[in-house]
Formats: sequence, C-alpha cells, structure tokens
Amino acid sequence: MSQNSRYRPNNRRNQQRNKNAPTANLNEESNPVVKVFQEYARELDDKHDRYERIVKLSRDITIEAKRIIFLLHTIDGRKNNRSKVLEEAEQRLTKVIEINFKSIALELIGQDPYQYRGAYSPGLQEFIEAYSFMEYYKVGADEISGTMSDWNFLQQKMQYEQDDKPHQMKDDSQLPVDSPMDVKVEHEIKTEPQKFEFFVDPTEYILGISDLTGELMRRCINSLGSGETDVCLETCKVLQQLYSGYISLNVQRNRELSRKIYTMRQSVLKAENVCYNVKVRGGEAAKWGAVFENKVTEDLDEGFY
Amino acid sequence: MANFVNLEVFSNYQKYIDNEQEIRENIRVKVREIEHLAKEATIQLQVIHSDLTKIDSACQAARKQIALCADVYKQLSELIPAGQYYRYSDHWTYITQRLVFLIAMVIYLEAGFLVKRETVAEMLGLQVSHTQGFHLDIEDYLMGILQMASELSRFATNSVTMGDYDRPLNISHFMANLNSGFRLLNLKNDGLRKRFDALKYDVKKIEEVVYDISIRGLRNETAQSTVEDVAETN
Repeated sequence: MSQNSRYRPNNRRNQQRNKNAPTANLNEESNPVVKVFQEYARELDDKHDRYERIVKLSRDITIEAKRIIFLLHTIDGRKNNRSKVLEEAEQRLTKVIEINFKSIALELIGQDPYQYRGAYSPGLQEFIEAYSFMEYYKVGADEISGTMSDWNFLQQKMQYEQDDKPHQMKDDSQLPVDSPMDVKVEHEIKTEPQKFEFFVDPTEYILGISDLTGELMRRCINSLGSGETDVCLETCKVLQQLYSGYISLNVQRNRELSRKIYTMRQSVLKAENVCYNVKVRGGEAAKWGAVFENKVTEDLDEGFY
Repeated sequence: MANFVNLEVFSNYQKYIDNEQEIRENIRVKVREIEHLAKEATIQLQVIHSDLTKIDSACQAARKQIALCADVYKQLSELIPAGQYYRYSDHWTYITQRLVFLIAMVIYLEAGFLVKRETVAEMLGLQVSHTQGFHLDIEDYLMGILQMASELSRFATNSVTMGDYDRPLNISHFMANLNSGFRLLNLKNDGLRKRFDALKYDVKKIEEVVYDISIRGLRNETAQSTVEDVAETN
C-alpha cells in the first residue's frame, strides 16, 4: 500500500483516475467507503497541487530577490553607480510585485492565506528583505528623511485588479466568507474588474526585516574592505537601531523570530567590532582584523547560492 | 541615512501581536473545555473493551458529551476572525481529531459503518467547507478515522476475549474497506501519511485475530462467506 501512495505523479488527479479505472472491481465500485474517499482524494489533491504551485512561485521570488540583493551589494561609493543600480533594483522589484506575487494572489483567491503560509513565506520574507534593502539605499541616496516602509505600505503595493478573468472580491480580512464552495472561481462570470490582493502578514514582514540586518552587516564589512569607513559607522548605527527595535518586542512562542534575533545580535556585534577597529587602528589596518570574520548568517540563508 | 529605521513599526507590530496573543488565550480556554468534555467521552467508551452489554449505554453517554462539545465549538468559532481559521488552527486540531475518533467509534458501534465527514461536522456544529466559516478540516477528519482503526483492532481482540467471535469478522471487513479507501489518497509526506502507514499494522492484527478464530472453528458457519470476501479484498 505504501508503494502505491509513494508514487506521486505530476498530474495526480488525472493519473489517479486512470489508475483506478481498470483496478476498481465491482467490489470497490459498490463500496460506499471508497466512494466518499474518492471525494476526499480529490479535495486533498486540490490542496496539495495548489500548495506545490505556490511553492514554485515562491522559489522564483526567492531567487529573484536574492539576485536583487546581490545587485544592491555592488553599489560602491567609488564607482558612483548608486542611482543606476537602484533604478534597476527598483524596476525588478516592481516586476516581482506585478508578476510573481500576483500569481500567488491569484492562487489564493477564496483561500485562507494562513493555510498556505508555509508555501509562500520564504519568498515573501526574501522579497521584504530585498525591498527594504533597496529602500535603505534610497533613503541614503536622496538624503530624504524617509524611513523604511511598513507592511501596510507593501500591502498597498500588492493590490491587483483583474478585468479579463473575473474573480471573487477579496476584502481586507483576506477571505470572502460568502464565496462559493467551488474553489475554481474562474468559472464565475462578473463584469466589473475584480480586485484582489496578496496578503502581507505583519509577522512575515518582521521576519523579513530581520534578515535585512544580515545584509547590512555584510555591507558594513564590505565597505571596510573598500575603505569607506563612514559607511561602516553608519550601517552599524542602523543595525543597533534595528536590534533595539527587535528586542523591544515582547513575542511569545515564536521560535523563528527568537532565532533570528539571536543571529541579529551576532551581526550587530560583528558590525560593532568593525567600527571599533576602525576607531582604534584606522581604516587601513582594520580590514585585516575583521574581514576574516566574514562568515555571516549562512545558516539563515536558504541555500540557493 | 541614519533615520532609516522606523521604530514605530515595532510598536505597531507589538500592538498587532498583543491582539493576536489575546485571541490565542481565549481560544485556549475554549479548547481546554472541549478537551475536558472529550476526555469524559473517551472514558465512557473504554467500557466496550470490558463489557459488551454496555456498548449501547456507553454510546449514548458519549453522544451526550459530544453534543456538549458542539456548543463550545460554536463559542470557539466566534473567537476566530473570518478567514483566519488556519492562523490559529494548531490549537484545536488535536482535539478535533480526537472528537472525530470518538464520533466515528460511536457510529461504528451503533450502526457499523464509517461516519462521513459531513455527519461529523454536523454533530460538532461545524461547516464542511472553509468558505462557509469554521469548518472541519479534511486532514483532521482523516486523522480521527485512523485513530479509530487502532482502537478497533484493540476492540477486536477484546471482543474475542469476551467470547464474541462474530465481531472481529465485521471489524475486519470494515477495516479492509477503510484501507482501500485510504489507498485512494495521494498523501504528502506529513503526519497524516505517517499515521496512515500504521494502518497496515492494525489491519494485520485484525486479520490475525480472524485467522485465529477461523482455524479453531470458533466462528459460526454463516460468517464463512464474509471471511472469504475479506480475504479476497486483501
């Protein structure tokens, strides 16, 4: 029996039907248990398929977000490439919102977003990390008094409208209570453009921002290597502020967050140590002291690279 | 650049999380109530392993407890904001599985068939689809059914001890159906899958019981055909 279920083909529902047709003898046909279980199988498959599709979409987001972060790391005071890189990063991030997140939002129409949280959360966190990293450069570049945007801002960005394929309306509590039982809402025909959104969970946002600290620490150490000691001091300051923000949180039983705060502390300490070395030894000598401690939050990265 | 960090974000998040924790505490209170009621029903049903004549009264007592659970489920469902079932569902999945098990057991003892998900949902005052509100998750239902399978294999051995030789044959037949039902599912490698893998041991145990009573000629002749059916389906 376990052999049977271990075999999981891509298009499960169709395969299942084909597989059962010849084997289902009279005994099974008339069996009421089998009949209801066919219904259960359909429901489970639908759920698993949707989950897998969201996982795939989420992986694409993760990969693209990581690439954008790498791109942002190429910003270098000596090369004067800041505005060009920033422009490209922002464009690519907008594309992720417009295409990738829209696809996930489409999958989640009429669904409980928390049910599929595990499927999209890595992508969302990585995206938030990339987005806030981009904003960090932007705020510094224009010398404007902007701050990092919060989840409401991102939520506003992830509103979509669809006119060709009508869909169920999604309200702010992200689930239409009165939507039909049928999960394939595409069959609904409505004339006005349907609005829907990708739900940004504040907890995911907080977790995503905590990853940002790893990038800031990386930047702090990289700029030591390139001799921009003022950048070291400034990123260190940002890190300290973020850290104090995080330890101010009183969150019970969120192991993921406490693990991230622990890692964040390591990053803060590293950055502080860099600043210390800059102060006492001067920028030239410090890079020999700190650059080898470059083993950053490896355990936190999902390991795509 | 130093003013990049917006500390307001953290205080807002604290408010958000405080609100969530309050909801969770209220949920826990209700879940504990249900757990208490379900425990009573579990104890009531244990009597079937020692006294076959008390099955009917045990089922009635269990039904009463289950009906009480339905009220608490209603209160529980009012605590959950619309569309956030799965945000908090980890608090009640375990107990819901337990109740599915109890209901399935009662229905089997009373009528001898597998309870449908709709019926369980109705008895607990829940919906079937998540779009209709607080519902009975399909995986919880299936987990509860698998728990019943283990209990039935225990019940089969005990009914032999108590001299009822027909019952194991019925149970064996029932379990064979259940097993073929579960084989239709494409399970992911999760808890449900692990629990399903244990089903074969329950089936095996019952088949051994049936075998034991068959070779000793303890069953009556009318049951003969049923046993052969069972042997074929396996």
